[in-house]
Amino acid sequence: MNKWIIFRQGILEELPLQLGVFPFGIIYGIMAIESGLTPLQSFLMSSIIFGGASQIVFVQLVASSAPITITLTSITAINSRHFLYSLSMYDFLIKLKLKWRIILAYLLTDEAYAVSIRKFMKEPNNSLLHYHLLGTGLTLFTSWQTATLTGILLGGNLPQFLDLSFIIPLTFLAIIVPMINSISTLCAVLSSGLSSLYFKNLELSLWILLAGIVGLFVGFITRKLDKKV
Amino acid sequence: MTWLAIVLSGFFTFLIRFVPLSGIMPKKLYPNIKSSLQYIPLVVLTPIIFNGLSIYENNIIFISENLKLYSAIIAIFVAIVFNNVLITITVGMLSFLLMSNFLNI
Repeated sequence: MNKWIIFRQGILEELPLQLGVFPFGIIYGIMAIESGLTPLQSFLMSSIIFGGASQIVFVQLVASSAPITITLTSITAINSRHFLYSLSMYDFLIKLKLKWRIILAYLLTDEAYAVSIRKFMKEPNNSLLHYHLLGTGLTLFTSWQTATLTGILLGGNLPQFLDLSFIIPLTFLAIIVPMINSISTLCAVLSSGLSSLYFKNLELSLWILLAGIVGLFVGFITRKLDKKV
Repeated sequence: MTWLAIVLSGFFTFLIRFVPLSGIMPKKLYPNIKSSLQYIPLVVLTPIIFNGLSIYENNIIFISENLKLYSAIIAIFVAIVFNNVLITITVGMLSFLLMSNFLNI
């Protein structure tokens, strides 16, 4: 199998996920403009950060005038899972040249990782796997930029019956429900969700951070229960 | 200030993705740290979900007429059964659109 076939395979396998990614990108574009960002800031953020969930949180924090330290901490916390993605691909990618590792690290997002890691696990001895990740990553990048631009251009001109605001929690829900696979993950989810309601009236958007800390703590102390079940 | 926040956020995001591939850190993390990291996406994204479902607005708990909540419950069942992001989003969105357009709530 040559590199172009693997690259094309990555593109084709990534395409179905764009049904969820594209509306998400449109919402981001709309929210970014409504939060007060300029069209240029809204559009370039999709290239500079290139992380859907963190960009949504960014515009929410900008809209609530949160200080930059809170914004950076929240973005870093949200994207920290990418550290694990990268770590799990270490064996496959560490032998590549530096320029390849830089490009693939930039493209390593949720949807690209989810598709490519299955290929990596299935064919661990294939020396051209990086072309697959390049295919999934570039597909996602192109789709995300296009969707962002569409959202910016549409602004608030969406039909009334299309209440796309629901798709953000829905997309996150679709991602995290399969990750709840133990008592401790369930406890972490419930405690962070319920405590976020309790903390919601706090200023400076501290509720995300505090709820996250509560969930992390509860998950950590209940992890012993996983082994007993 | 907004530009600075965008650029720094982008820089930190890239760093998070690149550091394990940079070859400068040990491949294996301490088990305690590694097991804690698995909770991070869950505990960061869940508050956004709860907030997005508008369960608690202006000190009022909003459940009985909350169509987003009902649709989310349907989506949770679909996610458990199919374990597929695309199907979950499609069913969740369709149920929300149907309820909000055909139920007089």
